[in-house]
Amino acid sequence: MKNFVLAGLLAGAMALPASAYTIIAPANPGGGWDQTARTMQTVLQEEGISPGTQVQNVPGAGGTIGLAQFAAQNSGKDDALIVGGYVMVGAILTNNSPVSLKDVTPIARLTGEYEAIVVPAASPIQNMGELVEKLKADPGAVSWAGGSAGGTDHIAVGLIAKAAGVDPTKINYIAYSGGGEALAAILGNQVTAGISSLGEFEAQVQAGTLRLLAVSSPERIEGVDAPTLKEAGVDVELQNWRMVAAGPNLSPEQKAKVTADVEKMVKSANWQEQLKTKGWMDTYLAGDEFDKQLEADTAATATVLKDIGLVK
Amino acid sequence: MGAFDLLMNGLVTAADPMLLLYALIGVTLGTAVGVLPGIGPALTVALLLPVTFRMDPAGSLIMFAGIYYGGMYGGSTTSILLNTPGESASIITALEGNKMARKGRGGPALATAAIGSFIAGLIATLLLAFFAPFIVKKALAFGSPEYFALMMLAFVTVSAAFGDSTLRGLTSLFLGLALGCIGIDQLTGQTRLAFGQAELLDGIEVTTLAVAMFALGEALAVAGTRNKAEEKVEAVKGSVWMTRQDWARSWKPWLRGTLIGFPIGAMPAGGAEIGTFLSYSAEKKLSKHPEEFGHGAIEGVAGPEAANNASAAGTLVPLLTLGLPTSATAAIMLAGFMQFGLQPGPLLFATNPGLVWSLIASLLIANFMLLVLNLPLIGLWVRLLTIPKPWLYAGILLFATLGTIGANPSTFELGMLLGFGILGYVMRLFGYPIAPIVVGLILGPLAEIHLRRALSISQGDWTVLFHSYLSIGLLTAAALALIVPVILRARGKGQVLSQLAGDED
Amino acid sequence: MTDHSEQNHRRPDVAAMVIAAGLAVIGGVMLWDSARLADLGGYSGIGPASAPRVIGGGIILLAIWTAFEAFRGDFPERPKQDLGPVFWIIAGLALQMMLLNYAGFSIATGIMFALTARAFGKRNLALTVPVGIAISFVVWFIFTQYLMLHLPAGPLEHLFVKGA
Repeated sequence: MKNFVLAGLLAGAMALPASAYTIIAPANPGGGWDQTARTMQTVLQEEGISPGTQVQNVPGAGGTIGLAQFAAQNSGKDDALIVGGYVMVGAILTNNSPVSLKDVTPIARLTGEYEAIVVPAASPIQNMGELVEKLKADPGAVSWAGGSAGGTDHIAVGLIAKAAGVDPTKINYIAYSGGGEALAAILGNQVTAGISSLGEFEAQVQAGTLRLLAVSSPERIEGVDAPTLKEAGVDVELQNWRMVAAGPNLSPEQKAKVTADVEKMVKSANWQEQLKTKGWMDTYLAGDEFDKQLEADTAATATVLKDIGLVK
Repeated sequence: MGAFDLLMNGLVTAADPMLLLYALIGVTLGTAVGVLPGIGPALTVALLLPVTFRMDPAGSLIMFAGIYYGGMYGGSTTSILLNTPGESASIITALEGNKMARKGRGGPALATAAIGSFIAGLIATLLLAFFAPFIVKKALAFGSPEYFALMMLAFVTVSAAFGDSTLRGLTSLFLGLALGCIGIDQLTGQTRLAFGQAELLDGIEVTTLAVAMFALGEALAVAGTRNKAEEKVEAVKGSVWMTRQDWARSWKPWLRGTLIGFPIGAMPAGGAEIGTFLSYSAEKKLSKHPEEFGHGAIEGVAGPEAANNASAAGTLVPLLTLGLPTSATAAIMLAGFMQFGLQPGPLLFATNPGLVWSLIASLLIANFMLLVLNLPLIGLWVRLLTIPKPWLYAGILLFATLGTIGANPSTFELGMLLGFGILGYVMRLFGYPIAPIVVGLILGPLAEIHLRRALSISQGDWTVLFHSYLSIGLLTAAALALIVPVILRARGKGQVLSQLAGDED
Repeated sequence: MTDHSEQNHRRPDVAAMVIAAGLAVIGGVMLWDSARLADLGGYSGIGPASAPRVIGGGIILLAIWTAFEAFRGDFPERPKQDLGPVFWIIAGLALQMMLLNYAGFSIATGIMFALTARAFGKRNLALTVPVGIAISFVVWFIFTQYLMLHLPAGPLEHLFVKGA
């Protein structure tokens, strides 16, 4: 058996890749986009949809560097894909990026995660209502640890402040570079509250080291013991989604081909299995509905970023 | 079963000949990609992860550990032989290691790096296995004020160790700090000094600067030297192996490097480079041969290399105990664990002890394989330096650009590499030390971000910097490192001191 | 050090003066750039512009110090340089940079390889260019095909590997 595996490994290494999709992950290895791209690679390969799929990292600036490079190099090509997401929408605005999602061909939304608001277990704050009270009393005294400035977490805090009637420019948001660093600051009691994708906190919440106050989903999530923000009296709903797009100027036939391949991937049992192990939600959305959703999200994000003061 | 029995079980499982072969393949592949400058362990693991998918869980786990250690070790080989640091944590290794290699002592330099890495990896992995839950508690006590204090200590100790001219040392450092300002400000998302260039938004890549400064700058300087015959590189002088004296001078730095590197790696925002900086300046202070520093002191290779490896094992502490990926490498490892159905988090040791212990056993075995693979190869490696100069330097530049292109195939990045290479040449010509500019680029942004975070959380109250005993202690140490030399000099002990700081590069 | 003449010592060092001027320009650019940043210091009181201001100011002070030392001729002697070989290497790297995305990794890097070898004394480009391209191609092949690295492909790579 083991000999067989080794032989397989060597044979696999010898085989030359056939022409196939190149997926750009506009981020460093290890992050959500990179993992999405590499999971796509695995499924596309194993399902035989595109056996020679390759992944390339073009990190930087919330994905805008990768996006700009991708749009410039892949006009009219139907064998190149880029992974992106909600963070990119904000980054395009804050960085004044000359290239936006209008300059590529969005294919589909693939997965999504909801935001979670937590406090350290030792914190006196017991529920979302108390946190909001504290925020109203003195916004500066509530420090929030989350991801990069202008990213999903920052936007969510801005929305929460606005919904609570607090001036969004007054929030004391502390940006951390990675999920791990922010989580360490929360666990170490350095900040008042933390905000990130639910998956980042789940293990800590189960272990009882963090208290989950609320989640940003429209309805309660199965197996998660926390109210939605709406139930807690804060009218905010937010999904941190990930998408895949193709190059600009595709013919309708090319777009149909890529969409069909992506749909085949999403519908495979393999993909569903991968989502399960990674704790990602399947929020597949394609075609006109996705385009509409994208437009609405872009408009709403622009408003919030202006409110926080990150975009003029 | 106790922790020890579990570890033994893991070792016995992993000692299967087939699994050992996987470990060897992993280490070889990891080293092959890891030697490329600009491609650190994170990218190495990311690139080679698909290879491990094709195997059964035990095989892929051990191969994964092999790739990880191989990728980490690969960087130091090129640092020593070609003055081309493969990743930011092996920059310090290039300082002394390459000087040794030029004097025909490349063999001992590689050996002390390999054995130091092995010993540090061994001790650190054992510390990880038995004390992780305790260590992580201490590490979490580090908040932004403490990090800021740690950065200050690193700044002071490192800059005291550079150069014979205060003016040129400071200029080099400030140029590095200036480069560190380029890009998107992490806390506000504002763009600084990018001048509309999208490629600059994410700042200057440390490895690009280091490779340009060290490898390109030096190739230009050697090409420009009039009397080329004068400076002759000897491949081997004396023994390829470490002498008795080398051993005597290496073992303490190995242990000290491990003790410095491990806790810094365990801190959520420590960074492997910081450990190598602190270890280097500690060795320089404690050495009986301080005059050799800057000319190829073996302690300056042994300590930082051990610190580098120990800190890599240190990053596994928050990862395994809390599920915190605190570095790019840890993040990619997390992705790797999930392939094996391992969900790192506070409950991992309790819910899945078998897998954790086989991982730790795999790490130990991969670490051992690395030693087995590398020690016999040292004789071969040092022969690289006997290649005639035209081919050798052409090869070094091929290699340096290959790393940059592999990490990011953009014309702009290559342009920066060339620009910094020319800057490195000019700086060499005018007697500016090279290391401070790289140190400035690494430490500057970290110090700034931690200071601003600390002050933001305290709402502008500067006394927060002195709120814990930890930060007071670190700041006091930094202040002492700054003031004591001045007092010593004032009391007429300048002679001793200038010898201590005597460093011509 | 070379036999560079002693009489230059203690005279204003023009090259070092140029460095001082360059530093002053860098410091000035930093101050100028930080002036257009919005003040988003928030609760910390330290905004994105603070660090560039301190560093820019520091560099200007260092520029003055450098000018002072240059004026007194305090800079160390410089070894005489052969600029020919230096330019060959720079030209090689520049060509590689410009050709990379059109000619592919092997050809662009092979030319850089040959020009660097020339700088160090292997003058026969008819030999070194083919050797450089061959070595680069082998490197390209190993790293892209076996070690999963992504390197730009050009006509040569397409010739040997389908779909590269």
